[in-house]
Amino acid sequence: MQENNNINKKKKFNLGNIVHSSGFSSLTAALMAIFLGLVFGFIIMLVARPGSAVAGFRFIILGGFNRLGDVFYFATPILMTGLAVGFAFRMGLFNIGASGQYTMGMYFALYVGFMFDLPAGIHWVVAILAGMLGGMIWGFIPGIFKAYLNVNEVITSIMFNYIGMFFVDMWVQNSSTMYVSNMARTRYLPQSAQIPALGITGSNVNFGIVLAIIIGIILYIVLEKTTFGYELKATGFNKHASEYAGMRGKKNIILTMVIAGGLAGLGGAFAILAPSAISGSSMTYEPINIIAANGFNGIAVALLGSSHPLGIILSSIFISHIQRGGTLTSLVGFKPEIIDVVIAVIIYFSAFSMIMNSALGRFIRRRLHHDVDEEVAETANVVTDHNNKEAE
Amino acid sequence: MEKYIVEMLNITKRFPGIIANDNVTLQLKKGEIHALLGENGAGKSTLMSVLFGLYQPEEGEIRIKGEKVFINNPNDANALGIGMVHQHFKLVEIFTVLENIILGVEPNKAGFLEMKEAREKVVELSERYGLRVDPDSLIEDITVGMQQRVEILKMLYRDNEILIFDEPTAVLTPQEIKELLQIMKGFANEGKSILFITHKLNEIMEVADRCTVLRKGKYIGTVDIKDTNKEELSKMMVGRDVTFAVEKEEAQIKEVVLSIKDLNVASKTKKDNAVKNVSFDVRAGEIVCLAGIDGNGQTELVNALTGLEKAVSGSVILKGQDITKSSIRQRSILGISHIPEDRHKHGLVLDYKLEENLVLQRYWQPEFQKGGFIKFDAVRKYAEELIDSYDIRSGQGPITAASSMSGGNQQKAIIAREVDKKHELLVAVQPTRGLDVGAIEYVHKRLVESRDSGKAVFLVSLELDEVMNVSDRILVIYEGEIVGEFDPKRTTVQELGLYMSGAKRSTVKENNHAGE
Amino acid sequence: MKKVLAIALAISLLAVSLVGCTQDTGTGGSGGAGGAEIALITDKGNIDDKSFNQGSWEGVVEFAERENISHNYIKPEDASDDFYLAAIDLAVTGGAKVIVTPGFLFEVAVYQAQDKYPDVKFILLDGAPRNADYSDFKTNENVASVLYAEEESGYLAGYAAVMDGMTNLGFMGGMAVPAVQAFGYGYLQGAEDAATELGLADGSIKAIYHYTGDFDENDTNKATARTMYQEGMEVIFACGGSVGKSVMSAAAEAEAKVIGVDVDQRYDSETVITSATKGLAESVVQVLDSIYNTDSWDTFGGKTTYFNAENNGVALPTVVLDDANADAFDRFESFTIEQYEEVYASLVAGSVDPIREIEVSDPSGAATAEELTDALSLSKVSVITR
Repeated sequence: MQENNNINKKKKFNLGNIVHSSGFSSLTAALMAIFLGLVFGFIIMLVARPGSAVAGFRFIILGGFNRLGDVFYFATPILMTGLAVGFAFRMGLFNIGASGQYTMGMYFALYVGFMFDLPAGIHWVVAILAGMLGGMIWGFIPGIFKAYLNVNEVITSIMFNYIGMFFVDMWVQNSSTMYVSNMARTRYLPQSAQIPALGITGSNVNFGIVLAIIIGIILYIVLEKTTFGYELKATGFNKHASEYAGMRGKKNIILTMVIAGGLAGLGGAFAILAPSAISGSSMTYEPINIIAANGFNGIAVALLGSSHPLGIILSSIFISHIQRGGTLTSLVGFKPEIIDVVIAVIIYFSAFSMIMNSALGRFIRRRLHHDVDEEVAETANVVTDHNNKEAE
Repeated sequence: MEKYIVEMLNITKRFPGIIANDNVTLQLKKGEIHALLGENGAGKSTLMSVLFGLYQPEEGEIRIKGEKVFINNPNDANALGIGMVHQHFKLVEIFTVLENIILGVEPNKAGFLEMKEAREKVVELSERYGLRVDPDSLIEDITVGMQQRVEILKMLYRDNEILIFDEPTAVLTPQEIKELLQIMKGFANEGKSILFITHKLNEIMEVADRCTVLRKGKYIGTVDIKDTNKEELSKMMVGRDVTFAVEKEEAQIKEVVLSIKDLNVASKTKKDNAVKNVSFDVRAGEIVCLAGIDGNGQTELVNALTGLEKAVSGSVILKGQDITKSSIRQRSILGISHIPEDRHKHGLVLDYKLEENLVLQRYWQPEFQKGGFIKFDAVRKYAEELIDSYDIRSGQGPITAASSMSGGNQQKAIIAREVDKKHELLVAVQPTRGLDVGAIEYVHKRLVESRDSGKAVFLVSLELDEVMNVSDRILVIYEGEIVGEFDPKRTTVQELGLYMSGAKRSTVKENNHAGE
Repeated sequence: MKKVLAIALAISLLAVSLVGCTQDTGTGGSGGAGGAEIALITDKGNIDDKSFNQGSWEGVVEFAERENISHNYIKPEDASDDFYLAAIDLAVTGGAKVIVTPGFLFEVAVYQAQDKYPDVKFILLDGAPRNADYSDFKTNENVASVLYAEEESGYLAGYAAVMDGMTNLGFMGGMAVPAVQAFGYGYLQGAEDAATELGLADGSIKAIYHYTGDFDENDTNKATARTMYQEGMEVIFACGGSVGKSVMSAAAEAEAKVIGVDVDQRYDSETVITSATKGLAESVVQVLDSIYNTDSWDTFGGKTTYFNAENNGVALPTVVLDDANADAFDRFESFTIEQYEEVYASLVAGSVDPIREIEVSDPSGAATAEELTDALSLSKVSVITR
């Protein structure tokens, strides 16, 4: 029973403890948050268009199931940026620079796509790897700054979002091989540089999602099973203890940022190399000085997924699912802006899963006091036994 | 019924998984100092939080001056004249002393602060009770001892009659403790009633009139101090006889393991070095204790020794090898084990499981990893061995979250990890800080065992009892310099105290410790 | 605790399934009626972009409300041919009979869709259907391709500015795409002709001609505009999406003037004296009218129609919205609606025919001062490019 008082006091500050102590897993918390988000989203739909709210809401929840291909298609880039944010976060680094890394990855992939003449089957693979390299470089620099100059990675990576984007826009515009000025965007990529589609009718979903999910699983293994993951999480949880234990913090910071950058870069490559069902067409990049939104969406994905690779896989698919269903609500007369608001509300609330967790935990504890009492009686007996032993 | 000013009758307070207070009764007389004694986790703080309105009890009632009351929050408590000095102060760092004292009860006229009045009252109170503070200093600039005085003044300013002190001496130097106990006596003489939470028996014997003892959330009894003694109190507290003396054989001193030469370490806060030209040896088979008042360079010295900080100059030699510039990992491999000062900051990754913490220094060794993958089977097996042989108790064994373990068992885990690791030198910094009597006994036993198995032990301690009982040799540090070396058998606590406070070197600097 | 969880999950599932049930009964009978008969697919940007989306949408709304036809707009999920096409698919699923696609970015998507949905009519503004690699241009019977004579619109703006007494004219185009180029060339020609009419000396009109390279509101563009104003430009023709906002804010600081583009931008800023508009709404209404009222779809279907002064496809704004009595020319010093109608008539008659395209050597499409001067035969106007 020792220090249980302290633990109880600590709870107010340490959300993590609540998760453990009250038996709520982060998955449950995320589900609860999503539920609340959906309720609020529904309320907004009711306000906006009462007559179609129910039908629209049904589209949001179920619509995605009719277009699973697109759900996975759009999940691909945010899954990668989500991993980029979440992975770094496990080490206590807030990689807000996923956008820049994403854009850089996109550019490197485009470069290989346009400038290299490689056989089909190899071309897209090389382009993807190039995208990863581009992202890695853009993660490496903030990593170096953080490790050796102790410059806050948030500042550097925000700045590198802009620097990367402006560089890419400049490089794209200066290359007539890539850029068509009168369309204000890049040319169509050759077929060989496009990632093969999975062949689902009516959708461009491609091997990108397969790779992304595999990468997510690999990251999970790295985090949970390897010494590197052990060091990385230890550093994230307690920097001082990791230093005390002789872990090489600087090396790990750089490595983590490089990996995170590579993940976001892959996201950019997957997005830009996506195939087109229209012959001769492809994705194009518009150098219009806008920071890639998918980088920031990655933050929401990572939050909802509790920075856990498997959680991120699920959360990216969920967010994509909600968005795809949301698009369909225009069939019952919802304006795109209202849909955007509803989707944003759902994601916003969903990302509060950790806070939800504690609030809900308290609520339920209070509600079901009798249940708790019984449990307490049981555990207390156990604890007393322990203490008796200790006293001997 | 007017006899008792506060009565907490049959209080039961439950938390999920635990009964923090189980039918506890506490009765406080007017004008007395009433000690509340118990080990860590015995339920003292919970009981006081109930009285202060931070928690609501499930059962039992509270009476103030014979009348039943419901205290729903600290404001209610305040209105009833109850004030509390918390273990962790609740002060606004960037406000001045005066601003902190009046916070929440600012005197004002039409919304404008009337500081003059407040200042007069604070100065008057501070003079009357000998609570020396400068009303205009910022909290962040003053010592912990002064901050505590500010907390006390806060209570007095609010005209509280019932004063709760939650482990007030834990953060103070011996001199400050003495002053505080005097001040408490002064309050009692003025008719204020004091609840004094502590697990230090000496202090209770010195100031308290009566003492209520809790153990594992249960009420054990209330005794008059004049009718009891330390041994009896500790038996009530722990539930068995406790030996205060550490049993140990004569030291078998062998070769030099650690040799520190002319070491200088920079200070993070001051211009001159925190450690100045320190030289000493630690040999196999002895416990060398570095004694001193907190903040005299101990932390920096240990950091330079273990690699957490760089030395400005000088050398650290382990078994003949210069490790002054070696990395932490290299030092660890060469045989330094380190029980750190702050077990939450350095010693443990609280979000990790117990088993993961037990391999914190060794996860990379071939025993526990292959090709970069951690061998979790081996980790589990090893953890179970350590848990068994070091008697580490936790709810779920190896998979318990370190954060959910008690302080004593957290410390046991660190000790197990550091002692079990192959080592030549064991550096233990305040290894018993915040532990209760039983756990302290355990830690001391392990240190002596390590010594007896032929290791060199370097102990840093602020507790003079510990210094005297455990060590084979004592070094006293004052302002970053070693000012004396003693044999514990041939010195006294008083003599050490003089060296620790710098009095033996220069009588002019008498007051310096207060500024630390 | 497990029980609690199970209950909570069960409730949420129940809620979802309830929603499902009510849907079946609630809107089961309405079929695709929740969608709309006339649908507009937005280009990148929002419906209120003060540009193509908004201009064409106003036309849709004007016509559909008058005729009481259901109408809606759909935002593509991604800016690519595939998702433009997907948005068209969605509109058709929702029951659309006529789909308006504002902007040349829809060329490929409409090329695909015209075969896919032969019974649906497409109005493609500012573009003509083609395949991805430009190897095939094909406008089916169910597509009306609408282009605008931007050079005429720009001509009107340049003419009005010089007639109003201005001699220092700035031009800030977005990217050097054909539409922007045409606006710019027309602007210079209008200025030249007005100067000639006024009998000004050669080189008496100074023009700074610039492409920003983007369509954004940003500090760079604002700084560029500020510099131009500091160098004495009295007005800048801001011709490129949100570049206009940057120019307007610079103009407000410099107390100078702006000429808007595409749609009437007088409502955005006091500094906007007039706007070189395309008759987006006007053209949409005309085409819709041919479908629903005059049964003359053949006039537009299956071919590319240029909207110019002749069929009210370009203009300077002559009315102020919501105020029938207000003077749309009140921000000019001296230029009047009569003068405007005169020059407009000459465009309609064809006596003035501004040049739309010139040879440009730079791959980005940005012409040099020499190229502009030679090709547009400028003498009164001396151009500096940057």
